[in-house]
Amino acid sequence: MDYQSMLSLALPFGVSLAACGSGYGLGRAVGSAMEAIGRQPEAAGKIQTAMIIGAALIEALTIYALVVFFILQGKIGG
Amino acid sequence: MPNSNLGLDFLARTLRTIGVVLLIFLPFGVYYFGTYTALAVFSGGVWGIVNLIFLSAVVRSAIRPEGIDTARLIVALLVKFPLLYLAGYALLKVPQFSPLNLLIGFSICLAVLALKALGRALLGLDKGPNKSDNLGEAVR
Repeated sequence: MDYQSMLSLALPFGVSLAACGSGYGLGRAVGSAMEAIGRQPEAAGKIQTAMIIGAALIEALTIYALVVFFILQGKIGG
Repeated sequence: MPNSNLGLDFLARTLRTIGVVLLIFLPFGVYYFGTYTALAVFSGGVWGIVNLIFLSAVVRSAIRPEGIDTARLIVALLVKFPLLYLAGYALLKVPQFSPLNLLIGFSICLAVLALKALGRALLGLDKGPNKSDNLGEAVR
């Protein structure tokens, strides 16, 4: 298998792996945040802020993978 | 210290800090790295700020004790996912903008956010009940 074929297989695999990982992580984070707010509604502001910071960092993983996909996309084909 | 809690005003302050960092970077970036590089970094940063604003809108309307605010959630989701991501795709397709520079701009947002949160954690500003602490008020 040559470099082009390996890259064309690895790029979508990498993006989908990052999407799966961040989806799983975000799901767990939201679940825990809901549980925490249910237990302590008065701490909702703090929990929301921590949730937003976590969600931003998790989402960044997928965006990084997507941008790497676009950077390396030009090397496929030809 | 009136704004010392890790509440929702923390995000507003962080967004302001990111904006200031990007505005300071822009003239220096144009001078040292060139116009398109600086503009790409700046655009990536602005995209990151808007993304963070809509992310916080989604979280605030979906995860709250009063229940889901459906109308706000739908509007935030519709703006964030199709429109903002299309804008990001358009930025990636601008021939003068390198994706790496856009990524650097986007990372500035995350770096400022992470460093501010880390600073608060290291300084222990959120520990113990204080007057601006929601949890502290509930305990009292």
